[in-house]
Amino acid sequence: MLKIRDLHVSYGGIRALKGISLEVQAGEIVTIIGANGAGKSTLLNTISGFLKPSRGEILYKGSKLAKRPDLVVRSGICHVPEGRLIFANLSVLDNLRLGAYLRSDKKAVLEDLEKVFALFPRLKEREQQMAGTLSGGEQQMLAMGRALMTEGDLILMDEPSLGLAPLLVKTVFEIIETIRSMGKTILLVEQNAFKALAVADRAYVLEQGRIVTSGPVAQIAGDPAVRAAYLGSKSGKSCG
Amino acid sequence: MIQFLQQLINGLSIGSVYALMAVGYSLVYSIMSFSNFAHGGVIMLGAYFGFFALTLLKLPFIPAFILACAGTTLLAILVERIAYKPLRERNAPFLYFIISAMGASILLENIVIATIGPTFRTYPPVIPRTPIQLGALAVGRLDLIMFFISAVCLTGLILFIEKTKMGKAIQAAAYNIKACALMGVNTDKIILIVFGLGGFLAGVAGVFFGMKYTVYPQIGNITTKSFIAAVFGGLGSLPGAVLGSVLLGTIETLVAGYLSSQFRDLIAFVILIGVLIFRPSGIMGKTTVDKA
Ligand SMILES: Nc1ncnc2c1ncn2[C@@H]1O[C@H](COP(=O)(O)OP(=O)(O)OP(=O)(O)O)[C@@H](O)[C@H]1O
Ligand SMILES: [Mg+2]
Repeated sequence: MLKIRDLHVSYGGIRALKGISLEVQAGEIVTIIGANGAGKSTLLNTISGFLKPSRGEILYKGSKLAKRPDLVVRSGICHVPEGRLIFANLSVLDNLRLGAYLRSDKKAVLEDLEKVFALFPRLKEREQQMAGTLSGGEQQMLAMGRALMTEGDLILMDEPSLGLAPLLVKTVFEIIETIRSMGKTILLVEQNAFKALAVADRAYVLEQGRIVTSGPVAQIAGDPAVRAAYLGSKSGKSCG
Repeated sequence: MIQFLQQLINGLSIGSVYALMAVGYSLVYSIMSFSNFAHGGVIMLGAYFGFFALTLLKLPFIPAFILACAGTTLLAILVERIAYKPLRERNAPFLYFIISAMGASILLENIVIATIGPTFRTYPPVIPRTPIQLGALAVGRLDLIMFFISAVCLTGLILFIEKTKMGKAIQAAAYNIKACALMGVNTDKIILIVFGLGGFLAGVAGVFFGMKYTVYPQIGNITTKSFIAAVFGGLGSLPGAVLGSVLLGTIETLVAGYLSSQFRDLIAFVILIGVLIFRPSGIMGKTTVDKA
């Protein structure tokens, strides 16, 4: 579904991505794990069209992906950004409606709105509330709900568990599985490697702009180097 | 009492024209976080467009008015494309935008001086000067028209921003332009629309100013007052810009009427300095942490 070949991205003179190649199949959850500054957000922002690669190409459903954010959304990729970036000055409902900005099928939009509310009942209760007054966990749910409203097939998620209490982290990962069961494909960037490996099918390990290992999650979770660097201890429980 | 009401009506009328200009500053500021000083130049050209449409093209008032507004809409968009878009594409720091804005403003003024000349020009008498008698009150026809048209334009603008999908996208872009793009909104188009709206209202204001006073290349300086009004109300907030303008217009007129007209301009700057010291975010503004 998504195929990236030899992607290079720099910020001025700083090379953030140094030749990334990866692939995501329809229906998969693929995770990219890596430390702070590895280049995870840079990768997602490049797919979304905010950054211009200096080399390499991104193919989506067999053809070259557009290079402007709104056109990327139009082609069916939606991005739940790092830090959520919900519209604090607008109501919960308006935030969700903006997710459906490109859609003109009013009836289907209303149906999807009901689906999102079924998935996140707390958003329904707070429909008219200003999004800025939501708690951190509710804001994350709003950011996911808003992305679902775009009707994209591929969802890019940038550290959805960041800054959430353990119980909410658990909820967020459950929701990710539910979203997949709705027929979506997910590319998940996480620092919480333990949880990410538990939910995903395949994983890529990103270090300083390069992919150092990749494979099915069982294989990655068993890799001694990965265990030492990202899973903290032999049991790996300390990250959960 | 009669005199007070009379002054109040004058104040509201001039304040509503300030509001037309102030919302232009506020709209651009809310999305791009810089003060578009070229806006004054666009207003000035609006006054000239209206003047020449009436005198050279000999158009009737309403077509001349519409032509002037169409001209400033295009001009404002042109300024954005030439002066700001290249900076946006390079993610230039905000200081560059301010410099570019000042450059555009100086350029517009000097183009007019070089081509049209520095002389003062007076609009032909399209609106009769005789006031309308409302009981004991004598209200200028132009003042009434100014107030009425401005109110219609501002209401239209606020309805557009609050009620339409595009308006919501503008509000979303004002909060976070990146997140707005993630919703599939073409943010370049949003910026274009914002400049176009500001430019259109600049045309309305320019024609009114030309009719009320005279037309000259530095007429854009009057727009400093509307900028002050926008700061007063809270830069970036549309209702704030309207409220700040109406208050400023009224205060100015009352000061001119009861103290002396020499104090009129002084009071605007006293308000500006007072706001900057005591309430930098203005009456209705958001906190201006990293915006300037
Ligand atoms: N706007 C920028 N300008 C310059 N350098 C940047 C910019 N954004 C990121 N970088 C650099 O690029 C590298 C990768 O950053 P990126 O944000 O992609 O990391 P990340 O893996 O998402 O980290 P985190 O887990 O902390 O979010 C880092 O070295 C960072 O300093
Ligand atoms: Mg990141």
